[in-house]
Amino acid sequence: MRKVWLVARQEFLTNIRKRSFLFAAIGGPLMTILLMVVVIGITIQSETDLSRFSTVGVVDQAGVIVQYDDMTLSYEEPPMPMFLRYDDEAAAAAALDSEQIGAYLVLPPEYLSNGVLRLISSTGAPEALTESIDAYLLRNLGETLDPALLERIMHPADMSVRFLNTGRTIPIEGVFGLFMTPLIFVTIFMIAAQTTSGYLMSGVVEEKTNRIMEILITSISPTQLLAGKIIGLGALGLVQLVIWLVIAGGGSLLAQRSGSEMLSSIFIPPDMALAGLIYFILGYFFLATAMASIGVIVGSEQESRQYAGIFSLLMAIPFFALINFFTDPSGPLPTALSIIPFTAPTSMILRMTFTAVPAEHYALSIGLLIVLNLLILVISARIFRFALLMYGKKLNLRQMIGLLRRPSSAALISRAGEGSAS
Amino acid sequence: MNHRTAVTVEHISKSYGSFQAVSDLSFEVFTGEIFALLGPNGAGKSTTIRMILDILKPDAGRIAVLGAPLNDQAKDRIGYLPEERGLYRGVPVLEMMVYLGSLKGMSASAARRGSMALLERLELAEHARKKVSELSKGMQQKVQFAVTVLHDPDLIIIDEPFSGLDPVNTLVVKDLLLDFARRGKGVIMSTHLMHQIEEMADRLLMIDKGRQALYGTVEEVRQGFALPAVRVEGKGDWASIKAVDHVEMPENGRGEVVLYLKSNATPDMVLGEIASRPDLFIRSFELAVPSLSEIFVSVVQNRPNGKGNGNA
Repeated sequence: MRKVWLVARQEFLTNIRKRSFLFAAIGGPLMTILLMVVVIGITIQSETDLSRFSTVGVVDQAGVIVQYDDMTLSYEEPPMPMFLRYDDEAAAAAALDSEQIGAYLVLPPEYLSNGVLRLISSTGAPEALTESIDAYLLRNLGETLDPALLERIMHPADMSVRFLNTGRTIPIEGVFGLFMTPLIFVTIFMIAAQTTSGYLMSGVVEEKTNRIMEILITSISPTQLLAGKIIGLGALGLVQLVIWLVIAGGGSLLAQRSGSEMLSSIFIPPDMALAGLIYFILGYFFLATAMASIGVIVGSEQESRQYAGIFSLLMAIPFFALINFFTDPSGPLPTALSIIPFTAPTSMILRMTFTAVPAEHYALSIGLLIVLNLLILVISARIFRFALLMYGKKLNLRQMIGLLRRPSSAALISRAGEGSAS
Repeated sequence: MNHRTAVTVEHISKSYGSFQAVSDLSFEVFTGEIFALLGPNGAGKSTTIRMILDILKPDAGRIAVLGAPLNDQAKDRIGYLPEERGLYRGVPVLEMMVYLGSLKGMSASAARRGSMALLERLELAEHARKKVSELSKGMQQKVQFAVTVLHDPDLIIIDEPFSGLDPVNTLVVKDLLLDFARRGKGVIMSTHLMHQIEEMADRLLMIDKGRQALYGTVEEVRQGFALPAVRVEGKGDWASIKAVDHVEMPENGRGEVVLYLKSNATPDMVLGEIASRPDLFIRSFELAVPSLSEIFVSVVQNRPNGKGNGNA
């Protein structure tokens, strides 16, 4: 056990100091968040910016406008422009041309019967402008009503949604966050698992091409070596995961302060965090063991990455079925994907966001993942021992099958490594 | 010499499919000796070493290392330097040595002290904090050697110990190996440098095509190949000596001649006649024992099915 710990410690300490890790763990998420803040910020800014529309002309041919300004109600309002009356459209158009107003509104005589009106603007109509026009018209139309009733008409529902299937209660503005949360979480999860299992693979390739492997396995058994590497780099993956989540949490707090409900509603419920941790460990273990075996069999960094891509693709399959998770999280496809071991880690997190997953599904998917992990560990340990010493040659399928059935048949395999070395 | 055995190999065989890499090989390595393993490329030396180290399992036969079949504890008492060298290039020298030493069962502090002492001796102390990739090739070779002996192993198995070393460093490494043997450690050295074997090794095993070709002390092996001839340096009509059958002049530029003896003649008879005749003058006189290189070439070229091409 001491040697397993030594290997784990060395792998952790060596890789955590790598520039590429620091960049991936800290630089990556910071840049992502920065980018998100900038993009969303610009969007929000352009949609809420009313500076170009501080004054809006109104040509009321329908006779519905009672008041033109100072229409503050007690309820929270969107920022309102000043509405200026024009007797005809020509006058309003002239004012728009001379930039006295940013836009003008024409209410045709039949407005009351069909609700059709025209907005003429020189530079588009942001959401904030159309919202304020809505509020302005509502208040004029409801002028004769009781103010309390008018307020209810304007804001009939301030709701939070309780999802009976998952038991979560989320403010309505948070539904966007509900969709985003698992996506962000699963993305972080996949990046962390792949970065670290990628390190594991390139570490093995390096040791094999360096021949340091021969020294290592005269000090420690291949299984211990593999176990140490998986543990050390798994811890590194968890560190990366935690760093990302802390940064994401920080970003979310920042968003709350900036008042963006959309961003601040991105949160990770504790049950999802726990499931995420369990599935991360199991999923990472699977990926890492598989990648280590690929590294030791293929023996070249570039080629290993191509094979490793297959495993990454397997884990990413749920993304292609994202719509099914949103629309029918208990349907056959999401259910199957959340149980099949390759896709379970990502699928289950997606699924549990949108529905209450039955306990037996958790048990089955976790159980299968554990079985798969044990299986791949046994296979890898055998392959590892014999493929370690093959230089410049690859195990072919027939040899691999031979190895699994009869470990001693590795004789056939080891010959490949013999030619140059004996 | 203390004749406890460090390694006992009994009738081991190893085949890869239809290819017989090692065939019924037996030998012993004693503690306190330098044991040379030689043979042409592909003869089965690395396979034999890997079987001793339990990297490969023999198909048949038995191997005992430090008194028992190899186990994890015994592994910690072995230092192995493979032929193909390699280190963690991106890791500082001292850190890497401490790691590899710890894997051999040393405590971190002992590994650190031992590493620094060895690096001092190999004149690498100032490079301890540098990354391996920043060192010259020769320095890396020395670091590799230091890693092999850091944990003061009882058995050192070292493939081509002098490859890549300049004459000065060759001497340093040679002294260290001799020192290990003097301190009662077993040293197995696989090399193609015959003069190093002649200078350093106590005993040798030559493998050819997976089989034992020569085995014994260096002197025994050489005597076994002694010709019915004497090598002399001097002046005179050598063919006129009664005990001499014919004379050969090797083209080694040293002015030596090799006098082949008649069937019943002995070197004494030749020496006696030279001494009694004033027309014959000698500066040196020795039995014509071939060098290890000559023996090596002769064994490989005279094996039953032709010339050694070096590849199995």
